[in-house]
Amino acid sequence: MAGTGKAHLRSETDGLLRVENLVVEYKSPGGGAVRAVSDVSFDIVAGETVSVVGESGCGKSTLAKGVMQLVPTASGTVALNGTDLTKLKGEALRRARPNIQMIFQDSISSLDPHLKVRALVEQPLKVWGRGTDEERRQKVDELLRSVNLDPEIVGDRKPAEFSGGQCQRISIARALSIEPQVLVCDEPVSSLDVSIQSQILNIIQDMKKRYGLSLLFISHDLSVVRAISDRIVVMYLGKICEVSTPDKLASAPAHHYTHALVSAVPVPDPKLGRRKAILQGEPPSPTNPPSGCRFRTRCPAATEKCAAEEPQLREVSPGQFVACHHPRA
Amino acid sequence: MARNNRQPVGLYLASGWMALCVLAAIFGDLLPLPKWDDYDFENLAAPVFTPGHILGTDYDGYDVLSGIIHGARTSLGIAVTAVLLGALIGGALGIIAAYRRGWVDSVLSMYFNVSLAIPTIVLTLVLVAVFSSADIENPSGSLPRELILIVSLTFVVIPVLGRIARASALTWTGRDFVLVAESIGMKRRSILLTHIVPNVLPSLMSIGFLAAGVVIVVEGGLAILGVGTNPGASWGSMLAKNRGELSIIPHTTLIPAAVIALTVMALNYFGDYVRLRIDDRESRI
Amino acid sequence: MTDLFSLRDLKVTFATKRGTLNAVRGVTLHVAEGECLGIVGESGSGKTVMWRAAMGLLRGKRVTRGGSVTLNGTELLTMTAKEVRQLWGTQIAMVFQDPMTALNPVRRIGSQFSEALIKRLGMSKDDAAARTLELLRLVRMPEPERLVRKYPHQLSGGMRQRVMIAMAIACNPKVLLADEPTTALDVTVQAQVLELLSDLREKLGMAMVIVTHDLGIVAGHSDRIAVLYAGEVVELATTAALFANTRMPYTEALLNSIPKLTDTSGTRMRAIPGSPPDPVSVTTGCFFAPRCNYATDRCRNEHPELVDGGDGHLYRCFFPLGKGK
Repeated sequence: MAGTGKAHLRSETDGLLRVENLVVEYKSPGGGAVRAVSDVSFDIVAGETVSVVGESGCGKSTLAKGVMQLVPTASGTVALNGTDLTKLKGEALRRARPNIQMIFQDSISSLDPHLKVRALVEQPLKVWGRGTDEERRQKVDELLRSVNLDPEIVGDRKPAEFSGGQCQRISIARALSIEPQVLVCDEPVSSLDVSIQSQILNIIQDMKKRYGLSLLFISHDLSVVRAISDRIVVMYLGKICEVSTPDKLASAPAHHYTHALVSAVPVPDPKLGRRKAILQGEPPSPTNPPSGCRFRTRCPAATEKCAAEEPQLREVSPGQFVACHHPRA
Repeated sequence: MARNNRQPVGLYLASGWMALCVLAAIFGDLLPLPKWDDYDFENLAAPVFTPGHILGTDYDGYDVLSGIIHGARTSLGIAVTAVLLGALIGGALGIIAAYRRGWVDSVLSMYFNVSLAIPTIVLTLVLVAVFSSADIENPSGSLPRELILIVSLTFVVIPVLGRIARASALTWTGRDFVLVAESIGMKRRSILLTHIVPNVLPSLMSIGFLAAGVVIVVEGGLAILGVGTNPGASWGSMLAKNRGELSIIPHTTLIPAAVIALTVMALNYFGDYVRLRIDDRESRI
Repeated sequence: MTDLFSLRDLKVTFATKRGTLNAVRGVTLHVAEGECLGIVGESGSGKTVMWRAAMGLLRGKRVTRGGSVTLNGTELLTMTAKEVRQLWGTQIAMVFQDPMTALNPVRRIGSQFSEALIKRLGMSKDDAAARTLELLRLVRMPEPERLVRKYPHQLSGGMRQRVMIAMAIACNPKVLLADEPTTALDVTVQAQVLELLSDLREKLGMAMVIVTHDLGIVAGHSDRIAVLYAGEVVELATTAALFANTRMPYTEALLNSIPKLTDTSGTRMRAIPGSPPDPVSVTTGCFFAPRCNYATDRCRNEHPELVDGGDGHLYRCFFPLGKGK
């Protein structure tokens, strides 16, 4: 894979968020530039949930931060409602920010420990001067209730008194207070207990319906995004290898890497016994990625062509795009 | 964890002592005591518990208790002012260095490191030499000694607190809530003021207390070197003035020495207490 | 099979400002030689406190430990910290969720390894170096010769966990205790590490205890599973029986809450409502009753005992699920 290409993008008029050829680089300790996100394109239609999955180091979190303009992007465009965020600077960028909000994996670190819950949730409203004190207070209480927290009980406490799951709910309430169009969720449940994960996923789904959100959902776990996504983008070493619907991805993954990801998901059924982990080893360093298809060093189907030529994303079945020279049938 | 449940007796004692010192510094003049620099020729070098001089007098007939009470104002005044100014300037510089990074950080860090490399005593000696007449007995015509001491000690405190503030601010700017603040569209200055400064303050306070203790001791050292305040005006200069008579009238040096020691200990207790509170808070994050 | 490692009625309480915190309320578990026991529970279920107390790690004025923990018939709870430490590595070894905290960040992997071998087993320097490479190969580390010269921070999470596992098995322990060994890892690496642990267990004939919040992780790797809730065992059965014939409503709820690849698009997650009871307050009745779909008045007033369904399948419920035995 190592797919570049934009075959999977929909018509420009449909997209709420349209990311094209996005490149995010950071300085490596050695001095050179590492491409964490390398020529990635995807789009989100209003009301849709697009998920990005991949192993750690594949650039999915950097992609989220690049979309949010929280890290400098080297090239490419991030168009929200037709406005390219990468071209905006200073005050103009600041004015565009309320439309796209983010929640982070480490919910505890994303809440300032010296502020009380009400102040945290109210903050975006205050920054933008929305409503009077009383209106803001009502809105904050309503938001807290909508994420199943009792404002009377939690409102005047500080984040340290809460569990990871509760902190994540506070973060969600805060992100939604200024009514963004797009909510970026960066691994929002991966540091939580399984039993809490489903609570948070349900809340995110409820909020999506209630506020008419579009979601960009980042996860390393396919099973987490399976039920909530309309489209799934699989990333490996900074590139897209497959874009597909969740049904097709789970039942007939076309890319060998996707297949490995699917089979690595633990299944709570002892009858299936121990399945061999298909993927051995770990991804190569992004400082010196393999030529051609970046997955070829771990791919069971790799040939010489994969080393020589970078595969482009192409449609293998309706709604399923894969960047592979030898896709699985 | 167990330590949090222990009764903080040391903290109570430290608070009591510091309250006494502060009260003495503020209301000392109202007490029915001789003036600190009145000569009492009938009671030169009087021992402790002499009627009218509970803590005795020194060889000039200065009342030791009045000296201590008046000295509290000078010593604490210098220490508190120097540390507050140092915290304000050093804290601001440190936080800016951590938040801006890049060349701003390099320049400020270099300033901190260079000024830390200059020994305190030398720096103060130079400042005193430049701004004040070397004649202790006749300070007129130059800046007051206290002011010069405050300025030079502030310069000593700035890099210490600046580096603490920078290190602390660096860990906080790495937290996701700073990214969140940016993504909700907060301006950089508000992010600094609402998210970074309040979180950096406790560690600055903790080191600030320790620094105040150090400043009091350094002030004493400078007095002994002859660049302190007027003789007998601060705890340190009481020590300096009477140190030659240690074998004859020991109470005139031992009492200010003990007062300095107690005050520094109390300040260290405060510093430790603040540190403990921070650790307790951090451990839950 | 004989019981190698046993907890009998283990109780752990902490004295807190708010009152007595009951972290573990009388847990009895046995691990037979060569067996793999999975211990599953949410955060706050007492699973971590339980094994830490069993390993002699929790001490101090505010901790009370009751009951008995035996390893090969030797009582561990009455031992001094020093005596228990003697058993670590040689009898019982541990693998933690975050290997970074267990590795010394300023020393190379190789020297940390050799030192442990030299101190523990009295090996010579050369033997220790050779054994280090052998152990790293055993955990399938690529290029162990290069790895020994690296520092912990230069390794990925998965590699660090392999190093930890290699260290844990260095002295051929009888029991390997793994606390959330894969929680911090990617699913792909998680699968590799679990497979490695199972292979090593078979190869070295160790018993293994995997402590986790995720039933999916232990499903394919453990012989028996104990489900913990609010400091108690609420269900204990062979892995097959636990999944095929779940008796405890809590276990069912846990299973249902796991997101699955077989879910269809748009399915709502079946989350467990509410949260576990406050371990400080006194609760009557079944601890799970407030969150249970099947709770009756009896459940709310009377605390159920752990009962044997007749086939060694233990559960703590008045109205167990399933169609009888």
